[in-house]
Amino acid sequence: MPRPHIEPFVDRDVGFKKLGLPGFKKGIQYKMLSMDKENGSCTMTVQYDAGFKQPPGFSYSEMELFIMEGHLMIGGKRCEKGTYIFAPAGTSLPAFSTDEGALGLIFYNFGPPSFQESDADHQNADKSQQRKMISSYDGLDWQVPTLFPQTAPGCLLKILHLDPKTFGMTFLYCMVPGFWQDNISYHDVAEEAYHIWGTSWMMQFGDLPTGGYFYRPAYINHGCFKSDLGILAIGRTDGDLHNYFHHDPFSSPEENHHRAAAKLARMKPALYQWILTNEHNHLPHDFEFPDDTYSTEGYDSGIHMHDDGTSHAHKANGAHSHLNTPKVSKKKSKK
Amino acid sequence: MTLGSTTIKGNLRPKFTKEEAAFVKQELAEQIDRYKKIVAEQEALTPQREKWVKEFLERIQSRGFHVHAGMKRTIPKSEIRPRDGRPLQVIF
Repeated sequence: MPRPHIEPFVDRDVGFKKLGLPGFKKGIQYKMLSMDKENGSCTMTVQYDAGFKQPPGFSYSEMELFIMEGHLMIGGKRCEKGTYIFAPAGTSLPAFSTDEGALGLIFYNFGPPSFQESDADHQNADKSQQRKMISSYDGLDWQVPTLFPQTAPGCLLKILHLDPKTFGMTFLYCMVPGFWQDNISYHDVAEEAYHIWGTSWMMQFGDLPTGGYFYRPAYINHGCFKSDLGILAIGRTDGDLHNYFHHDPFSSPEENHHRAAAKLARMKPALYQWILTNEHNHLPHDFEFPDDTYSTEGYDSGIHMHDDGTSHAHKANGAHSHLNTPKVSKKKSKK
Repeated sequence: MTLGSTTIKGNLRPKFTKEEAAFVKQELAEQIDRYKKIVAEQEALTPQREKWVKEFLERIQSRGFHVHAGMKRTIPKSEIRPRDGRPLQVIF
């Protein structure tokens, strides 16, 4: 488990600390909300002190920033609260400054906080995704979630970022005053959220007020929910968010995991059977993202063996067959 | 989104610098303390939580259970799974 189950945690209960890592300029303070114990990726509340200035530069890790209070001047543009910034790893951002200070939420997605002064992108910058800057409060409309099954009426979304591979997303969500949802939920994915404003109540943990945060690994029960006066929050998932609703408050994550697999077998029987019958010992191949599972350089480079003793090679275009494939020694097999 | 991923594509410097290693070590130590505090607080909340759960189970048998969006269904008592001594663990 890369990050532990942190729920609930209210950052108003702890003080800021100075961020003293090399590269960062003076005038940044932070509160750590959660950190991955393997790669140091983390989520932090961050305060830019009045008068803070930072030259153009990039993070070695993919980074997201949401401004909650105050403003930042970014490349000469005034960015008010509600501004969301997504920066792929190694993508240079313009100079930052603020006269009055700013409070934000920052996510370093693959590594610890880092800043390298540079007015150009890193030579290996991730070009698969684009840098973006969104004024989410006045530039996006609230949407009724298109997740099925849906949350109860009165929970609305603004999608800030959607990962094209995993469908993991960063989003604003709100609960209208008087919102309530009487079911228990869990997901296949990890989820984290921070309350920008307002208090909601959850059956497992009680009230989560302004400044409340959670990082919740997959398959953990949460809900039922309600909010008397409404909330505004920012949330993230690390994959496709499906709502599994049920009414057993005592089910364990293991039971929930089994139930999710059983639902997959019922809801997508052809896919489930295909996964079972081909005895794959590697991720299924995706012609859209072939590099995830095999090399596309040359016909023979993709030779690998399955658990059932069959083997095959992939052509550069990803085409392959499981029939009449040459046997190869496990030495040559490629996972 | 990449919560907890160990894929290195989104990180151009996957090996920690000396300063980063010290920073991560310190923060992870504090995170363990934070986790322990949460576990203790949530353990103390157990009696209250038991009441909330009882009220929830009563409510879905009268007011209804949210199946999808505003669609609700009243759950018959026969569909409430017996507890059979299972703990009400909420932090994992």
